[in-house]
Amino acid sequence: MKFQMLEVNLSTQEKKVVDVTEDIRNYLGGRGFGAKVLWDRVPEGADPLGEENVLHIGVGPLTGFIGSITNFSAKSPLTLLRGESNMNGHFGIELIYAGYNGGLLLTGKSPKPVYLYVKNDDIQIRDAAHLWGKPNLTTQQTLRAEIRRDLEDQNGRIATIGPAGEHLVRNATISHDFYHHAARLGMGAVMGSKNLKAIVVRGTKRPSYHDPKRLYEMVTHFHKAARHQKAKDRRWGHYSSIIDRYYKTMEGVKNKQLGWDPVCDLFNPLIFEQEYQLWNDSCSFCHIGCKVPYYRMTSPLGPCAGEFRHDNAGGWGANAMVRGFEEQLYITPYLDDLGLDGEDVSGVVTWMMECYQRGIVTRKDLDGIDLTWGSVPAICKLVKKIAYREGIGDLLAEGLKLAPPKLGRGSEKYAIHCKGVAITSYEPRGSMQDGVELATCPVGSLHGGRGSPERIAYDSLTLCTFLRPSVNQVFGFENYVAEMLRATYDWEVSEEEWKNIIRRMSYMERCYSIREGYRPERDDLLPERFYTETIYNKYGEPKSMDRNVFMEWRNKLYLSYELDPNGLPPKDLLKKLGMDFVIPTLEKAARS
Amino acid sequence: MGDGVVKMAKENKTSNGAGQEAPGKQGWGTENMPYPKGVALIEARWDRCTGCGACEMACSMSHFGVISRELSRIRIYRYLLPIPKSVQNVCSQCSEKERECQKACPVNPPVIYYDKERLHMVVDEDRCLGSSCAQCREACPAKVPTFYPPEADYSMVCDLCGTGGERRPQCVEVCPNFALEYMAPRFPQHLQRIHPDQKAEYLAKHLYPLPKDRVQIPPEELFKEEK
Repeated sequence: MKFQMLEVNLSTQEKKVVDVTEDIRNYLGGRGFGAKVLWDRVPEGADPLGEENVLHIGVGPLTGFIGSITNFSAKSPLTLLRGESNMNGHFGIELIYAGYNGGLLLTGKSPKPVYLYVKNDDIQIRDAAHLWGKPNLTTQQTLRAEIRRDLEDQNGRIATIGPAGEHLVRNATISHDFYHHAARLGMGAVMGSKNLKAIVVRGTKRPSYHDPKRLYEMVTHFHKAARHQKAKDRRWGHYSSIIDRYYKTMEGVKNKQLGWDPVCDLFNPLIFEQEYQLWNDSCSFCHIGCKVPYYRMTSPLGPCAGEFRHDNAGGWGANAMVRGFEEQLYITPYLDDLGLDGEDVSGVVTWMMECYQRGIVTRKDLDGIDLTWGSVPAICKLVKKIAYREGIGDLLAEGLKLAPPKLGRGSEKYAIHCKGVAITSYEPRGSMQDGVELATCPVGSLHGGRGSPERIAYDSLTLCTFLRPSVNQVFGFENYVAEMLRATYDWEVSEEEWKNIIRRMSYMERCYSIREGYRPERDDLLPERFYTETIYNKYGEPKSMDRNVFMEWRNKLYLSYELDPNGLPPKDLLKKLGMDFVIPTLEKAARS
Repeated sequence: MGDGVVKMAKENKTSNGAGQEAPGKQGWGTENMPYPKGVALIEARWDRCTGCGACEMACSMSHFGVISRELSRIRIYRYLLPIPKSVQNVCSQCSEKERECQKACPVNPPVIYYDKERLHMVVDEDRCLGSSCAQCREACPAKVPTFYPPEADYSMVCDLCGTGGERRPQCVEVCPNFALEYMAPRFPQHLQRIHPDQKAEYLAKHLYPLPKDRVQIPPEELFKEEK
């Protein structure tokens, strides 16, 4: 068992292969290993958009089997804490085929725009002057044509940033194959700050797995045993949950001012299925094909194509009072093309909308944009300003942690965020579970459950989270992991060791954030609005959240994550896990 | 009547093929569709392909006992149309008149030829000149024959997983999308014997009138009258 990480220093153009087997044994890969890399490589208090920050593209031991995600890690420019984001698609598996099963680490900063070309051992830093300034899709098409000449085949995988990443917008994304995005926490801005426009990977090596026959049996058995999940996911993709969530008051409406509005009913996936669906698309070795891209030639806003998920489109539903799919399908591909995180930027735009509604900002402040609720032209204009940092966009591009204090005028209380990450397509008053999970996530309020140790284990194995229920059903998670680790790398993990790996990964992530100024007791709270205002669902039933109940739930959650009541990892357990090196940091944090 | 149906199903399960375990996608509900016994080919329904690559895994597993895309005889090509779409590329066991690879082979007798007893394409691995020649690949309209010099430096084309007189194409059996069909030839094959690029061009017409680098009319054009 050997894990190799490719390290490329963009300042000095130095490339080397690092053996990371020891760290992978302790931190598994992907998200868990990414946290360790950040701890080791990024100095305390480093500027996320400076030369000191690194970008780690993580793959795990099981990447490429049953849905492969790619994990991006860097210090987040949005939250200034640990940053990470997952991307589906075919990028991670290509890194494995190129021989880098410990991932790819980018350090330093290139003096001019470049793109990175990796074909097995041939690593080149190429000039990207002709790509700089172009939106995602154009960049990807141009690169595809170029790479195809180079490789004489189609299989180069490309990850790019759009204009938003180039302009260091703090919630910019990294895009792969147009609709796969590593969107959260500003990974695109980190890539942009390194003057790196794109990464191209092509691998033609054969990964030497221990027992390919067993792997093959596991994967094909899973395909058949989990076919019921397929039928459901294929039909509507992962956008089907949304109407359900509106009815349960779990989805934000009008920047969380309301619990229900008639526009919610326009987001029924049945309408989507009947009018827009194009075909299905899947990730590597996944039978589901849950990408359900849409296309409509005769929509009111012209022909539009793209893909909806709860993540990129959820915030552009009733939260911004956008009226139905017809308008929503115009906004989301525009954001994908600019390279903005649809979810986070929708939080910024709805914050501005509410400020405009309340007269805190005027039309003059917004450079003449009439930002009324649900106005598509206004949204597109504002979003473009954010992506290019023009006028008011320069302020809004700072994200919800830094922009509201700069704007002032009492606008802070309408910024619905937790640790700087916008809460858009969640409504904690309808679901306390979502609420505490959003609040306690050490990397910012990503999605419900993203902070739980089990979820970190999934992300580190790079097993797609949408397959969680199926894997549990077919194999049971622990059995699956034990069996797959044995078959891939002949890695025998005892039950106790597996628990320890999960603890280590979860503590590492938390400790890194604590080092950068995260204090669980102070920061694991929701915006004031959720505790003080009551909303009403469609049937007039009140929904509110009691602060004491929230704190009770939070303490229970800390307990289940094996943390002390202050949200800190207990020291005796850290010593047992061999993580003594984080204890001085925790003590320092406790004193401050 | 109920008994009759059960009986029929039982008969079908046991009497299929050469009296062995019924071929086909076990558990997918297509067990009862028998595989062709005479001349046969794998037809790619490329509109249904989701690009998961299970067929590539099955192919390399069946022929080499490893998991490797490069050692697979069926290949997935991925395009941006601008919406991502994958299409398969697999040998369609062309009819005699259209067998360009056999005609192009510089070795005499041809290394790559149609075996009239086994009823599929065969490559004589020892005599093949390898990737330095690759005339068969050049001649093939779909560029199907593949080479992987580090491990298999000879032309690899689909042999319908024919071993010991039995043919059970593994890619067809694992495809979760019914995007591959093992069937008797259906002529003409002009939608199979084309390069994947051409298949992608046909599929791109689903997205008419969008060009390849646009997914919408840009807002600057669409909303300009408001200024």
